[in-house]
Amino acid sequence: MAELDDIIHQPLRLKIMAALNALPGAAGLDFSRLKKLTGATDGNLGAHIETLAKAGYVSVDKAFVGKKPQTTVTATAAGRGAFARHVATLQEIIAGKQV
Amino acid sequence: MIDSKEASAALADIDDIVQRVRQSRIYDLASQMMIMWGVLVFAANIATWLWPREAYYYWLAVYVLGIAGSFAISSANQASTGVRSFDMRMLFAFLMFVAFGFLCAHVLGHFTPRQQGAFWTIYFMLFYALAGLWFGTAFVVISLAITALTLIGYFFVTGDTFLPWMAVVNGGGLIVGGLWMRRS
Repeated sequence: MAELDDIIHQPLRLKIMAALNALPGAAGLDFSRLKKLTGATDGNLGAHIETLAKAGYVSVDKAFVGKKPQTTVTATAAGRGAFARHVATLQEIIAGKQV
Repeated sequence: MIDSKEASAALADIDDIVQRVRQSRIYDLASQMMIMWGVLVFAANIATWLWPREAYYYWLAVYVLGIAGSFAISSANQASTGVRSFDMRMLFAFLMFVAFGFLCAHVLGHFTPRQQGAFWTIYFMLFYALAGLWFGTAFVVISLAITALTLIGYFFVTGDTFLPWMAVVNGGGLIVGGLWMRRS
């Protein structure tokens, strides 16, 4: 019986992982775009990205674009796998295979 | 463990964010294309206004540069996303669209330069409006705004000032629309 992933299950982290997982290949999202997509505040989003990064589910790259700092968040292979398993578990719950 | 209702809500959240990401990527790519075409159309309208004899060359250059630019933007996006957006199929669709417009404006009808200025703009805005039915309301809003301003210009802006009007409405409209779409 598959278990829900506690790290991904938190609502904002689920949105972050869903957004990153929707991108093809090794593409990432910059912090401001992710903030807009999830509707989170700077502090909240930063804290949850850090949790995902500590779990190895996302990688965070900081660089300067011109004079502006830009933080890009990308789902890792481990993160994509964990997200896929989490979604499969949710579908099993809906199908009544788990209670 | 959660119940099926909570699981459904979580999956709905995932679907919602996936749709938003998809639309965001479409808007991001479309905005780059719009700004590029806007600059070209603005320049061609102004050049046609100042030196009308060579108008056909300017507009031919707009198409050549626009297609080359679309391929370049598509390639740049492919490098970061792995998805090619402007490919040969899109090129043929674009050329068929232009060929049909040419048939209407030059073969079936013999439009005056003023009629052509309005026709090509409205014709391309029809394409944007149709795209909006699949890819997001911003396309429809931009299309309707530029079409309305084009018609106002066609009926109320007299003489030579119609071309600078169209430079601002069509070229400027695409640039502003592209910038707005990027922020959406």
